[in-house]
Order: sequence, then C-alpha cells, then structure tokens
Amino acid sequence: MPRGEPLPAEDSARAAPPAHQVIESGQKALVRYLVAFGLALLPLALLSNDPSWLNILAFTYLMGGVAAAWNIIGGFGGQFSLAHGVFFGIGAYATAIFVIRFAWSPWLTMVPIAVFSAGVAMLISWPTFRLRGPFFAIATLAFNEVAFVLANHAESLTGGPRGLMIPFKASFENMIFRERWHYALLMFGFVMLVLGVCVLLRRTRLGYYLLAVREDEDAARAAGINVLKVKLQGMALSAALTSIGGTLFMMYLRFVDPPTLFTLPEVGVKFALLALIGGIGTIYGPLLGAALVVPFENWLRGEFADSLPGMSLAILGLLMVLAALFMKRGMVGAFEDLVKRLRRGKGGQP
Amino acid sequence: MSGELLLDARVVSKHFGGLKAVSEVSLQVRRGEIVSIIGPNGAGKTTFFNLLTGQLAPTHGEVVFLGQTINLLPPHRRAQMGMGRTFQIAKPLIALNALENVMIGSFLHDAPMGRARDKAMAVLERVGMAHLAGRRAGDLTLSERRRLEVARALALQPQIVLLDEVMAGLNQAEVGREIELLKSLHAEGLTFLIIEHNLKVVRAFSDRVVVLDRGMRIAEGTADKILTDPAVIEAYLGQGHTGSTGALPQTVSEETRA
Repeated sequence: MPRGEPLPAEDSARAAPPAHQVIESGQKALVRYLVAFGLALLPLALLSNDPSWLNILAFTYLMGGVAAAWNIIGGFGGQFSLAHGVFFGIGAYATAIFVIRFAWSPWLTMVPIAVFSAGVAMLISWPTFRLRGPFFAIATLAFNEVAFVLANHAESLTGGPRGLMIPFKASFENMIFRERWHYALLMFGFVMLVLGVCVLLRRTRLGYYLLAVREDEDAARAAGINVLKVKLQGMALSAALTSIGGTLFMMYLRFVDPPTLFTLPEVGVKFALLALIGGIGTIYGPLLGAALVVPFENWLRGEFADSLPGMSLAILGLLMVLAALFMKRGMVGAFEDLVKRLRRGKGGQP
Repeated sequence: MSGELLLDARVVSKHFGGLKAVSEVSLQVRRGEIVSIIGPNGAGKTTFFNLLTGQLAPTHGEVVFLGQTINLLPPHRRAQMGMGRTFQIAKPLIALNALENVMIGSFLHDAPMGRARDKAMAVLERVGMAHLAGRRAGDLTLSERRRLEVARALALQPQIVLLDEVMAGLNQAEVGREIELLKSLHAEGLTFLIIEHNLKVVRAFSDRVVVLDRGMRIAEGTADKILTDPAVIEAYLGQGHTGSTGALPQTVSEETRA
C-alpha cells in the first residue's frame, strides 16, 4: 500500500493541517444535513399524488429513521442490539393503549413513552452489556422473544393475539390523517429528527465516547471513560427514538398484533440490516439502506406473491449476503471508496 | 528527588490460584521522578502494572494514589484521577483519525468539542505529530501508534504517566526520538513510571530502577548501580540470555530489540 509521502527524519518540521479540516466543521455538517434533507424530500414532492408510492415512501422514511436510531448504539457504540423491536413495540402498544382507553393524543404521550422505553432499555442492557460482540447480540435477541410471548399473554393490555385496533377518527391531534401524504410527511419529519440528533451527537463528547467504546473498551477506560455508563446513555437515546418510531408506526397502521411487532426479520433484525447495507456507523447510511431495501422489498413481494411465495425473502437474503461480502462498510463506504479512487485520478473512470 | 508522594504500592501481592505472580512488592513514585521497572520475561512486570492501573485488584496490600487507597477503583476512575497509561500492545482507535484519538483523552477535562479538539491539536503538536492529525490511526506506523497513545495519555493532563514497554519493536532511531520526547516531557515536570525491557532506555533516563524477578522485588537503585548488581545479572542470565555473557546492560538491550 503506497503511503504518498516518504518518512521524514524530523516529522515536526512539516505543516499541520488546521484542526477544522481534520474534524468536519459545524458549517459543513449543517450543509450536508440540508442536502440530505432536500434529497430525501424530493421523492415526496414528486410522488405526492400516487398513493401506493406514498405508502412505500412513508415506510422508507420510518424504517430509515428507526435504523438511524438503532445505529446510535449499534453503529456508533458498536453494540449490536437485536432488542430494538422491544422498544419499537413499547412505543406502538403504549400509544395504542393510551389512545383507546383514555383518548390521549399520541403527540402528548409520545415523549413520555419514549422516556419509559429508554428506562426499559437501560434496565435490560445493564446486565447484557457485560457481554461482548455476538454474545451481546444473542442475549438481546432473547428479549425480543420474551416481548413476543408477553404481548401474546397479557391480553388485558395488548389484546393478546387479536391485537389492538385504533378507530379511524381523522384529526391532527389524533395523529390520524385522511391524506396519505400527511403520513409520509410525518415520517419524513421523524427521519430528519433522528438524523439531526445523530449529526449533533457526532459533535458531542458522548458521540466520541461511543466511538471510543466501539473501537477498544480498554483504551476507552484508560482515557477515563466509564464504558458501561456510555453504553447505557447511547442505548437510552437509541431506544427512545426507536420508541417514537413505534408510536408513528402504530398511528399509521392503526392496528398491531404481536407478529407485526416482534417478527425478527421484519422488525428487530431489519433495523440492523438496513444500517448494515447503508453503512453502519455513518450518519446517513441507515436512511440510504432503507431507501434501497424498502421499495425493492415491496416490489419483490408484489412480483412473487402468487408465483413463488417466500422468494422475496430469499432474494433479500441474497442481497444482504452480497452486501456483507463486498460492501463491508455499506453503501456509504463503497461510495467513499469510489470517490477516493476517482480523486486519485486514474483517468477519471472507475 | 523529594517531591510529593504520588503513587505508593504497599506490599502488594497478586496470586492466581497457587501462582504468586506478584509477591509483596513495594514501590513509591514521587512527583517529578522517572522510575523504571525491569525484569526478565515472566517476572510479573505487567501483572504489577495492571495492579497499579486497575485492570487487576491486588490479593494483598494496598495501592495508594494521591493519598487515596485505590485498590478497588476501576481503571477509568484512576484515569480521571490523573493516571495516564499506554498499553504494551498499542491500542489505537483505528477507525478514528489521530486527532480524534487524542480528543478522546482531552474530552475528560473539556466537554465542548471545539475546546477538546484544540487541546488535542496542541498535544499532537507537542509530540510532533500534528502533520498526521488527519490520518486514520489504522494507517499509522508502529512508532506513530505508540506515540499516539502517549499523546492520548497526555491529553488527560495526568499527574503520572505509566508506560508499558513503549519502545518495544521500535528501531534505534525511533527509540532515540522517543527518549528525546520523554526527556523533554519530564523536563516540563511530568512524572513517569515505565516498564521497560530495553536497558539502554532505562539507563538513558531513569532516576530509579526497580528490578522484579519471579514476582519479587530483587533490587532497587540508580540505573548504574542496578545494572552491575550480581542479583540482577543472575536473574537475567539465569533466564537464558546466554548469548550476552559479560557486559550485561548493552547486550541485553541489543538482544531484546533483535
């Protein structure tokens, strides 16, 4: 691997780059965010008359947002949680319960429920954060299964296998809309909120500490970092945002049952996979992953629904294997490599 | 030296089952000193080091830092108290660039990112790595990674820095530069406790040398006194450094580098 410049005898003699070029400046981060905002809004503006596309868009934004929320602890913090379906489920169920029993507006209950989810997240991660790597992932997987069983069992609260249904009473305060593009806009707002949180997080101490913990826990400790505390904080933030995603999911479908919320390939694992395909540990990767996978999956499902049921899952699985093999840093990573190669100026053609 | 007592290991032992990895070792480091711990492989140096940094808790004895017993304090609390350290196998945060690596240290005292960044840059300048600020730590050479770890420790604004074989694997020129750096940091008043295999290094800049062998402290004194001590020679030669009979200090160091 060529290293560009020769090793000097006296290294301090050379000019140092200014610090604001080494660390992305706030201005640059804001510009990026605004560009992402515009790009993500574009399809909504173009397709606002097509109900089936609006549905796909709404799910893309929602899944992108939840994948970005997962990415906070899974990507930045390096803790591969498969328990996020639980926080998503809490958001959905709790919202439905408050709407059905007390007619409380989801706008009001959303944040307290998110705080509650963060509390649950910290409670269940406290013991599991002792485990590292795949062992942590397996342990968190178990929580998803427990949640599935509990949701089936606690009929008085969750309606058990019959699920919960929110009656259609369209109004802004009920978070129920007649127009589908309102939902799409709502989901767009959600994903941009989560991405905004990620942009800010990457510019704070907690964000850097999460990266340090991911890279090397011993080195992090030697730098005075309370590793467990940082993991718990990252998990709490991630779970709270995921729970808000669950609330929006509930208000969009107005019906949930345990399989909708706790089927791993559809929910808990999906968040992680979208982030993986888009670019784990990057800010915009999860949304990119969702933008690729959600519409594609939708199309596959329609295409093979009659002829080869299950084929869509198989193709999706294959796609993920390919991504894992050839794009280890996801689409964002592949894109960055491409840009680097082009900049190196090999005739301008990749 | 008669500075304030910083680090005080009082008759510290660490047993793993029947194995006495460290037995009844005492060690004091005062402010402004450079103290070295040497000893043949398996002497218990790293175990002792881990007792000081908090990776391990002593079976017996007491570790006192800044007047406080820290036996049960976890490593990150010790770092917060002012104990910087490096690792025998360098642990750079490879996906981050050099500046970010050092920021991980400077965040301890400066929570706002801009301040942590500027302080980290100043530390990189201090150790002569400012021009590498934007380079991924994974793309640095071994000696640069080692130096980066020292920088990260310095960013904690530590009272004492514990170095675990920072010279291992470096070539002669790099060792020279590293000694230069440590000497200049020492001149600014920084206190060091170093584990070192390389006797040339030990000789070049230690106020005091402590020799461990089979978990026990067998000698302590100035470098020159230690390196001619029969017990020390016995410990080294007895461990199979047969190629270096005769003048111990230089040859052993040559051998360990090879």
